[in-house]
Amino acid sequence: MLIDFRPHARLRGNNPVDFEASVSPLISALAQDQADLSGVRVVCDWVQYKENFRDIVEVRPILSCPAPAEGHDGRPVPAGAPPYHMEIAVDVRRSGEVALRDLTAARLSQQPAGRIYLEDWGPGGDSCIWDFNALYWSALELWEKASGRSYEQALPGGESDARNRGAARELISELFALWDPLASSGALPEELYVAELGVGNGSQAKVFLDEFRELDRAHGSGYYRRLHYLMCDYSQYVLDLARETVAAHASHVSSVSLDATRPSTSLGFLRGKAFLLYISNVYDNLPTDEVAQLGGQPYYVHTRAYFPPAAAADLAASVSAAPEELPGLTRRLLRLGPSELADAAPGQVSDVDAAVRFWQQAWAALRLEERYVPLTGLDLYPVAPSVSGEVLRPLLESGADIRMHVSNGAVASFVDSLPLLHPFGKLVCHDLFVTGVAGYRTSFRGPGKYDGSVVNWVNWLLLAHVGRRRGFEVQFAPFRHRAGRNIVTMTAQARD
Amino acid sequence: MARGSVLARLPTLPTTVVGSYPVPEWMERLKTEYFRGRMSYPQLLDVHEMAIKAALHDQELAGIDIVSDGELRRDNDIDYFLARIPGIEIRNAAKDFYFDYYEAILSEPLPEPEGTPLRLAEDFAFTAAHTSAPIKFSFTGPFSLAHRVGGNAYPDRRELALAVAWVLNAEARALAERGAELLQIDEPFLAGYPEAVEAAIEAINVVTAGVPVTWALHVCYGNRYARPLWQGHYDFLFPPVLGAKVDQLVLEFARKGYADLPVVQKSGWDRDIGLGVIDVKSSEIETPGLVADRIRHALDLVPASRLIINPDCGLRNLPGAVARAKLAAMAEGAATVRQELPREPDP
Repeated sequence: MLIDFRPHARLRGNNPVDFEASVSPLISALAQDQADLSGVRVVCDWVQYKENFRDIVEVRPILSCPAPAEGHDGRPVPAGAPPYHMEIAVDVRRSGEVALRDLTAARLSQQPAGRIYLEDWGPGGDSCIWDFNALYWSALELWEKASGRSYEQALPGGESDARNRGAARELISELFALWDPLASSGALPEELYVAELGVGNGSQAKVFLDEFRELDRAHGSGYYRRLHYLMCDYSQYVLDLARETVAAHASHVSSVSLDATRPSTSLGFLRGKAFLLYISNVYDNLPTDEVAQLGGQPYYVHTRAYFPPAAAADLAASVSAAPEELPGLTRRLLRLGPSELADAAPGQVSDVDAAVRFWQQAWAALRLEERYVPLTGLDLYPVAPSVSGEVLRPLLESGADIRMHVSNGAVASFVDSLPLLHPFGKLVCHDLFVTGVAGYRTSFRGPGKYDGSVVNWVNWLLLAHVGRRRGFEVQFAPFRHRAGRNIVTMTAQARD
Repeated sequence: MARGSVLARLPTLPTTVVGSYPVPEWMERLKTEYFRGRMSYPQLLDVHEMAIKAALHDQELAGIDIVSDGELRRDNDIDYFLARIPGIEIRNAAKDFYFDYYEAILSEPLPEPEGTPLRLAEDFAFTAAHTSAPIKFSFTGPFSLAHRVGGNAYPDRRELALAVAWVLNAEARALAERGAELLQIDEPFLAGYPEAVEAAIEAINVVTAGVPVTWALHVCYGNRYARPLWQGHYDFLFPPVLGAKVDQLVLEFARKGYADLPVVQKSGWDRDIGLGVIDVKSSEIETPGLVADRIRHALDLVPASRLIINPDCGLRNLPGAVARAKLAAMAEGAATVRQELPREPDP
């Protein structure tokens, strides 16, 4: 049996985790069980997100039979000898709140009864949690009205780093330093393109444009006249909001409706022209799978969304439905949105406000079951269009067991963004990044819930590897303009 | 200049490759394993040799007249050479990814060339033992190699390039002694430094000095990571390249269009031209008809007797199946035009 106590830093300090209390009862329950202990791994996490998708104790099967893969034609799929058959996961932040031994024994002894499943098993990136996430951004106005606060107030710290004036001035100064010699040699294009992917409420764009105009006035180069700022987002509501915010710069700004995972589809005209691609807190909000390497074997992490029995009963009662009707009603909510749901299901939700209440309660109740499925042939796993799972190998085979995000949406977005850059252009991204494999071995990196959206830390190592293979130097540095935060600045520029 | 013994044996509009051949993903993985210290060098050599034999066979099946080893032994266009030159220091020999460049440092001037440390003649001999087709053997030129060397051993890059050129000259002599007839110098960085063409040509002439083979010079706009590194036109090469002691200029046209061909023609270049007719940065497979049209267009400016048909650049970044199909289309397109040419009178 392997015990992987990941948040070991929390065993020290002012308020240390009590290892005995948070783990020993679990081991005691395992000892009483009939499970083959040699094939059990116990993983202890500190789940920092108060709103998340996990129970305090979870039992995760580790399957030995790979999922049938395309191209196998019914042939047996070879897989190595499975080192483990079960993982017990415990959240040590909360494990002291429950009778841990009894809870673990209950989890081990029987399949959980009464759970209302919303979907079948599949990779995490395909889960309906991402439909909830998309709904949050497309119906943000309704969510904010119901919760009484803006999405930005829900962020840790209460505001986005995107509106930091020091950071904006630094970026603009770098652009001027790049443009001046190009202008001297007649190599500076007439139109100077800057694009922002994921514009929030437009505050970043406003800060950037305000500062740009002011610095250009002092610089005297007339760059502001040539500046074209593209605000890109898939939410029309967000774009409309942002346009109002930057009304003073309207003649220099265009709004582009865009899927962040495929920016080239809408921005193809920008290929090779963008001097700056700016992306703030978008990647952590894009769908991701997780993969793991356990005992030398690679695995997919498959998930299945469900409502726990008690929460399902409460939720069903709130909409005058039986618990079994919740998956159907939830699917309709995700397909139609709360505004339409009231018309489509008047028997369950009487009006839009009731539909929003159902949405928020469902989101709060939502949990994910997990299991590990063997992953045979990394090349058969598409991380993103044109990116094969082979890119994961250096990370998965970096030593001891590891579980990590694939950041599929971020990789897709990143790879599709790079061709937009001018040869001297730069991609700048502020986000929550895991910048070393140790980060995956010592900390929980999501998924968690930020208000109505999903948050996962982004796999910088993978982005760096993928970028480098495409000829870009990808670097990271702590966000320098605000102390005490986890935000990292990633930059990508052509190399060699 | 003479056309050389290879071309004299081949039909008009002979087809060839620029050098590199696709590296399959599984092979990338094995190469990277080696550079992470997880695979022995003999095993890596075995992988390379198997792949080279397959690449030769692919080219022959596609109907290519002059074949290459696909540069499959090389981790990239630079390190295979630099890492073997005595005096050049590679401080970190491990790589995260085999294709990455080393950081090469030269603290002291290169020692006088002694022997052939790059062992290129041995690489050629292996290729010659596994094909009966004429062979083009390519290697990176002194200008581009010098651009990847750090340190202050020489007062300027010109001096460094000349020193590297003498090393390459020794290798070229050994290649000729082993039977190489067509050698190509690749200068992938030259287009980025148009002001340095004269110095580059000076170094290239050191490489070719006293080596009695057909010499080709390949200048493109970069192909690393399957995207161009530079923009511009070939007019930067002239007139200095007229002083290059080479027999062919192998140039990129298919991706950029043929507007530069008149530039080359009007410049006074009266030797052979390796005409790029395949865009190696696109996976779209040219039809034989398109290839034929491109050759016909070139024939308006350059006589068939001075044209060699090749892709724009190396095929390294293309999927294998795409590369094979492109080569087959190129051979078929060239054959079509060849049949349209007036028959030469019998001697």
